[in-house]
Amino acid sequence: MKFTALLSLAACAALTAQDDGLNWVGDYQQALAESRKTGKPIFLEFRCEA
Amino acid sequence: MLSPKSSPLGQQLSQYVCLRITRMDNVDIGLFEHDRNNAIYFYMLNADEQIYMRYGGRDSASPDTYLNLESLELAARQGLELHRQYMDGKLAKFARPPAAFPRQIPMLVERTFAQNQCVECHLIADYQNQHREQDGTLDKLRHLYRSPDIKTIGIHLDVPRGLAVKEAAGAAVAAGLKAGDVISAVDGRAVWTFADLQHNYDKVDRRAKQVRITVLREGKAVDLTFDLPQRWWWTDLRFRQASVDPRLYFEDKPLTDAQRTELQLPAGGLASEVKYVAEFARTMKSHALEVGDIIVAVDGVERDEFAHTAELYLKLKKTPGDSARLTVLRNGKRLEMDLKTFRMSFRK
Repeated sequence: MKFTALLSLAACAALTAQDDGLNWVGDYQQALAESRKTGKPIFLEFRCEA
Repeated sequence: MLSPKSSPLGQQLSQYVCLRITRMDNVDIGLFEHDRNNAIYFYMLNADEQIYMRYGGRDSASPDTYLNLESLELAARQGLELHRQYMDGKLAKFARPPAAFPRQIPMLVERTFAQNQCVECHLIADYQNQHREQDGTLDKLRHLYRSPDIKTIGIHLDVPRGLAVKEAAGAAVAAGLKAGDVISAVDGRAVWTFADLQHNYDKVDRRAKQVRITVLREGKAVDLTFDLPQRWWWTDLRFRQASVDPRLYFEDKPLTDAQRTELQLPAGGLASEVKYVAEFARTMKSHALEVGDIIVAVDGVERDEFAHTAELYLKLKKTPGDSARLTVLRNGKRLEMDLKTFRMSFRK
């Protein structure tokens, strides 16, 4: 299965949210603050909403 | 599910703060600058907004050519290593580019924000280009023909292995690139992923004759100098939503050397054979070209520094709405005709 098709499936699952066990955040400033607090780097995904 | 936490990719991503942005309204497009005709694009960065790498990118053939779960996992792993180096003070900081925001693009404000529509990524690029067109700063070689294809210079990647070379051809062979090499820099700028490579290759001056690509070979960095072929920057624009690309309602192909000789046309000119005419050409009164016509000149010009066909010449030289005078050979007879260009529209 192609990568984007996989992503599309993931997108259907409410933008993956908690479904993949990862805690996705949707706010840039929140991500910066969390990164600063935890020392973790940020994995940023830009994708179309549609 | 794309990346459950227990998967190899999920295990890497669980060591990141995962951020997903689906609206561009408040994004710093100066910092996060990439070819907007990508429906999905990733960055690995830190709290100081230092970007370690990018992931994504595409070619004209498909949005998927360079997207692969294995290479994404590899990138995520490399991103963590770069982060460790940064936190240990071993990674140089880059200067933050000037901030820029979608609300600074007047056409986007007027036509998208004001109508409460989604600020689609491609609209950002398209309106930026329309403003450049109005300002006289549009460089089509750079702004329209974004993200040149590395295959044009013979670089074929082993996609799951990131920037490992699967096969070299053409200019890449001449430069000394070998299968198994891992590309590590473009003109001295470090690259970790295909997106890094494409983004930095896109920065190469379209008039440049050479580009320096560094590879890792048996653990050592080797600098390779590629001689850039003519029109190395050219890509098929049909997947793009770019309204500064004038709509012509025809497609052509360059004449062969034999055809030029037979027709007594100069070598290296922009003479071309019409291979497709859109039905709308007549409806829109764009032109009266027919398949098989030979266009030998546009506005009296038979030769151009960059274009090798009439279609490309028109795309590069004309602003949508402009007209042109074509000199055409049809059934051995020379005739003149007018062509009117139109603006593409991708507005909702």
